[in-house]
Amino acid sequence: MAILKDKKVVIIGDRDGIPGPAIADCAVTAGGEVVFSSTECFV
Amino acid sequence: MDLENQKRVKEYAEQYGSENLVVLLGASEGEAAGLAAETVTAGDPTYAGPLAGVSLGLKVYHICEPEIKAEIDEAVYEEQVSMMEMVLDVEDIIKEMSAIREQYTKY
Amino acid sequence: MNRNAVIKGTGYVLVHGPDFVIHNGTTQTTERVVNPSSEYLTALPGHLRSYDKAVNYPPNQVYIGNLIPEDLAAYEFPWYDKEVPGAERYGRFGEIMPQDEFLGLVQACDVFDLVFLEKDFTAGVKEKLSAHPLLDDSILSRLKDGVSYEDIKSYVEEKHAEPLYNQGQLVGYVKQAHDIDASLSAHVLLENLVYKASGVLALLHLIKSSGSAKEDIDYVIDCSEEACGDMNQRGGGNFAKAEAEIAGLVNATGSDTRGFCAAPAHALIQAAALVKSGTYKNVVVFAGGTTAKLGMNGKDHVKKGLPILEDVIGGFGALIGENDGVSPEVNTDIAGRHKVGTGSSPQAVISSLVTEPLEKAGLKITDIGKYAAEMQNPDVTKPAGAGDVPEANYKMIAALGVKQGAIERSAIGDFVRDHGMPGWAPTQGHIPSGVPYLGFAAEDIISGKIERAMIIGKGSLFLGRMTNLFDGVSVVLQKNSGRRDGASVADLKEPAVRPVIGIAAEGSELGREVAYEGAALAERKGFKAIVIEGEDAHRKMEGMLGSGEIQAAVTMHYPFPIGVSTVGRVMTPARGKELYLATTTGASSANRVEGMVRNAIYGIIAAKASGVSKPTVGIANIDGARQTEKALLALKEGGYDINFALSQRADGGIVMRGNDLLTASADIMVMDPLTGNLMMKLFSAYTTGGSYESTGYGYGPGIGEGYDKLVLIVSRASGASVIAGAVEYADQLVKNHWKRIAKEEFEKAYKAGLKEILASVKTRTKDIDAGLPGDEVSSEAPEVPCKEIVTSEIHGIEVMDIEDAAACLWKQGIYAETGMGCTGPVVLVNEVNEAKSREILVKAGFIK
Repeated sequence: MAILKDKKVVIIGDRDGIPGPAIADCAVTAGGEVVFSSTECFV
Repeated sequence: MDLENQKRVKEYAEQYGSENLVVLLGASEGEAAGLAAETVTAGDPTYAGPLAGVSLGLKVYHICEPEIKAEIDEAVYEEQVSMMEMVLDVEDIIKEMSAIREQYTKY
Repeated sequence: MNRNAVIKGTGYVLVHGPDFVIHNGTTQTTERVVNPSSEYLTALPGHLRSYDKAVNYPPNQVYIGNLIPEDLAAYEFPWYDKEVPGAERYGRFGEIMPQDEFLGLVQACDVFDLVFLEKDFTAGVKEKLSAHPLLDDSILSRLKDGVSYEDIKSYVEEKHAEPLYNQGQLVGYVKQAHDIDASLSAHVLLENLVYKASGVLALLHLIKSSGSAKEDIDYVIDCSEEACGDMNQRGGGNFAKAEAEIAGLVNATGSDTRGFCAAPAHALIQAAALVKSGTYKNVVVFAGGTTAKLGMNGKDHVKKGLPILEDVIGGFGALIGENDGVSPEVNTDIAGRHKVGTGSSPQAVISSLVTEPLEKAGLKITDIGKYAAEMQNPDVTKPAGAGDVPEANYKMIAALGVKQGAIERSAIGDFVRDHGMPGWAPTQGHIPSGVPYLGFAAEDIISGKIERAMIIGKGSLFLGRMTNLFDGVSVVLQKNSGRRDGASVADLKEPAVRPVIGIAAEGSELGREVAYEGAALAERKGFKAIVIEGEDAHRKMEGMLGSGEIQAAVTMHYPFPIGVSTVGRVMTPARGKELYLATTTGASSANRVEGMVRNAIYGIIAAKASGVSKPTVGIANIDGARQTEKALLALKEGGYDINFALSQRADGGIVMRGNDLLTASADIMVMDPLTGNLMMKLFSAYTTGGSYESTGYGYGPGIGEGYDKLVLIVSRASGASVIAGAVEYADQLVKNHWKRIAKEEFEKAYKAGLKEILASVKTRTKDIDAGLPGDEVSSEAPEVPCKEIVTSEIHGIEVMDIEDAAACLWKQGIYAETGMGCTGPVVLVNEVNEAKSREILVKAGFIK
């Protein structure tokens, strides 16, 4: 069963890993609905 | 995890139902990914934020995990993420994420 | 064209602030609100380091210049338990100031009567500060007499003042500056005054290390992450001028540049541009730090039993001045920027900051000696789960290089080691952002250790909640080209850039004098040429090309790699018209037709870079001409703009007959290099009877994808006039930015489908597995054996088979390279392998 399709997706990106908007672009192609996207910064 | 982000996760879980929510992470390494995953499943292990003692048990993945990658349009993934696969220790991230999901995810 | 600005000096300071960690770091102040009785807050004081430990800490010693980054790499990681023997407070870039003295400096920086210190404490601090080498009376006289402990207590407890501590004792306070205005609260003012004091300290050290007078500074740009103002203009700003005032820079004004961690790189580019434009002569880029980020990752450090490593506030300064002919240049022509539309994916970010500006300048990622992006100390970030930030940046640059085919995936580790450094800067946003390397970069470039460095600033704009965008800019530092600004009138008459062309013509059949005659002739025509002598002339020539001493070279017998060939230029007899022969030496490809298609593009590049804006192209009527024609037509169909010439003969067409060569019916005549070489000699020597080449411009520049050296070929029979012609040809190519033109043409050709078209014309001519003893036949590409020095040339292999011949040797575990020797294609192997290689190549039918 698909994980993202038709789900509400919350994104916690990382400035030194994958940032939020990049993940969001991916998630929508899998049929997920992005309800929140943010990027954390540890430095 | 940032306190504001914890608050948002908690609100969305209440609004949409925990079973309808998936959390996607972009952390730069295994330990940080594991901590974030633990926060949205078992609760904030640092006891600092709104998710302290709140076990949402959400479905949580890192964007580089194979099951997520498989669902994403290949070209978009290539453009947005693929380069970082060479930079991050994906194996370690998968290991940490799988361990947390096995233990705490309810959905 | 104005000259690039240079880096005239740098200053770096740290301030040890253990009590600030406890009372003012946001991780701790947040914890006190959320969880006041937490284990962390209880355990914290036991994890703070003494001043001496902070001084002895290896990364801190690197920051102030007592160690170099390479020294740090030699310390076994982690570093928190290592100490530098004999470490000192002062380094060649700055100092590590203890907290008590710094509190005195904070008061000296307060001009609104907001900072008060206890009487006895003040007396002690005054005495210590009077011994400070950079603080004169203008600053020391600003210290006040001191107040009583009771006074401090009452202000802290009753009047919303922020307490100041030293070694756990309450020693003073910062008053609020307004009863209601939150922008002027005691908390904000404490942060801003600490910020101001550390910025002033950085300025003072910069002025000292640059050897400049305070009066010479025209403009200062503060590039921190702080904001000052009142409730009506919360970020009103100009910390810069406030700091310049205390530091005594009487002739300066300034402004603040903000952009989170990217601000210093933005400011560096702005400063360099202000100087280059002539607006100001001396511009300072600088910043201090403040208390907010102290102990930011303290929870993880305490949990893992480490000391609190984020116990120092950082500051830095750099003086950007007019070109002095010596100091490293800030080349604002090579500046990358993350645009609004760039996107946030890491590859988009790194492309915009690294590969795009480099490509525009015709440079490869390996042409940058050292990159400095985010130089955070990994000792701090790794235990906190943020990884090794500098290393991640280097890996990202390398990974992008892999994606673009610039380096092998297996070479990522080498790239990180060779072009990277370990991080040594404290984690205060703007402080570690590219600029910690400025001081070392200047030294490394002057000493010749590296040619260029790239400073990269990246900023997390989303933290301000105004945009989700990321940001970043980058700029290249490079060796000084050696000429001064403000030179004499005679110098000013010269064009800003006058290319210098080297002539390395050892071994001419016409004697050594011919090179000097050629150079003299070129000089008379207004070009600049120097003769490079000696048996090792090629090596010298390459060194001079690398250092920028010469911009192009004219030589003979030069081995070009496969893929590079030369475009000759002659004067045709029938019309006295110039004709480009593409090509005359070298080999564009092992495949004849692919080679001719490439030659057409090389010819277009050479002609355009010589000022022929729309050159016409014809194909010599030789073997492979029709296939070449087909391929070039397909390329045109795909959108690559080729102006085909028409034969003068009655039946016309793109394919040119011998007559067309004489009339130069086309500007560019496409042919294989052997034919081209023959034509070259005919056109250059037909008036002299053959032994002396007297007309035209020589065999031309070696052109190929990514080939970035400008080397033009003449022959052993080329006379002085041809050598002078080659100098002229070279001069034009330099002035017309041949590298940029080459890059653009290749890009256009690829866009039009060059790759696919070439794939369709290629056919293999020999099986590399043929005749190998006992091996199974496979058509897989063989693995390349370990690289070794190759000096023995094996001649006699057909040019079309040359790559296969090398591959055949690789299969047998022999490392081989291909090249063009003076008599044709060669395979190069190590001398110990020569006999065996010949045996293998004979067996496989490559040679007889």
